[in-house]
Amino acid sequence: MTDHPPFMIPILLSAVATFLVRALPYYATFLDRLPSFLSKSLRLLSVAALGPLIFPGVILDYNQSWYAGLLGIAAAALFAYKRQGMIIPILLSIGVTYLALLL
Amino acid sequence: MQSEFTFKQGCKEGFPIFVGYFPTAMAFGLVCRDLGLRIWEAVLFSMTNFAGSGQFLAANLIGKGAIPAEIFISVLLVNLRYTFMGAELSRKLTKGIGGWQRALLAHGTTDEVFSVAVLHNQPITKYYLAGLEGIAYAGWVCGTAAGFLVGMILPSALQLAVGVTLYAMFSSLLAQEFRQKGFKVLLIAAISAILNSVLILLLHLGVGWAFVISMLAASFFGAAITDDIEEYV
Repeated sequence: MTDHPPFMIPILLSAVATFLVRALPYYATFLDRLPSFLSKSLRLLSVAALGPLIFPGVILDYNQSWYAGLLGIAAAALFAYKRQGMIIPILLSIGVTYLALLL
Repeated sequence: MQSEFTFKQGCKEGFPIFVGYFPTAMAFGLVCRDLGLRIWEAVLFSMTNFAGSGQFLAANLIGKGAIPAEIFISVLLVNLRYTFMGAELSRKLTKGIGGWQRALLAHGTTDEVFSVAVLHNQPITKYYLAGLEGIAYAGWVCGTAAGFLVGMILPSALQLAVGVTLYAMFSSLLAQEFRQKGFKVLLIAAISAILNSVLILLLHLGVGWAFVISMLAASFFGAAITDDIEEYV
């Protein structure tokens, strides 16, 4: 039990970071007066985050079978492009990755 | 007109969010189990954070051994969109809501809650928003616990494949954004992905810092090539 990593610190740090950005607009009003370039950049952050959230992790996590994760996310992306919803793409990608790892 | 914005009405409108959150949170529960968290830590994670991509990112960084500052800044940036959503939501709320109640309502801001709440043209009440956020929160927290428990009976080979969940979620999001907003979304994501890979693989930068730098650089690039930003909100 003693060698359990201290997960509480990162969990709570992440919680504080999330709460700060959520609470800010409820208590401050300067957001309406940001320069337009900065405002545009901030609004694009969530799109810009998707690239590094996927790469290179999806390749590195499956070192010998580097293609397994790639096949999985390709299946998920194709399905999500056609239809709304997240459940089927995620299950599909788990299935495809599982098969790729077995082969 | 305000009488229709009751707690019950909020719960009713939030039920589809509950249904959508539950399985995604299950995937998060599985990821937590994979990382070696205990069930109460996974549930506490979801209770205190209540943020899809932010939590998956934090979990990923924890798994990669990132330092606390990297986790803090990365999560702050990836969740910065909540600031803009909260600004809109707080304008829509009826006046006279106390400080701690505002803090609680702020904690419930998510992409889906936002998109349901802003559909109303009239001011919304705190009871309605509390119902809407409460039911979504229940789906997220219960789903995390359920996912963790399901992970206990999953074969180990399948658990390795479940690691793809995180990436599948982000690639699905990217595909949906691409469908709705067009080619620029792919371009911005591709630039940040390439930059992140270069920073990690060639320059051996820490995962969190590489994430922050590539995300910021790509969004500045995106802002420079985009005229009408409203469609990206």
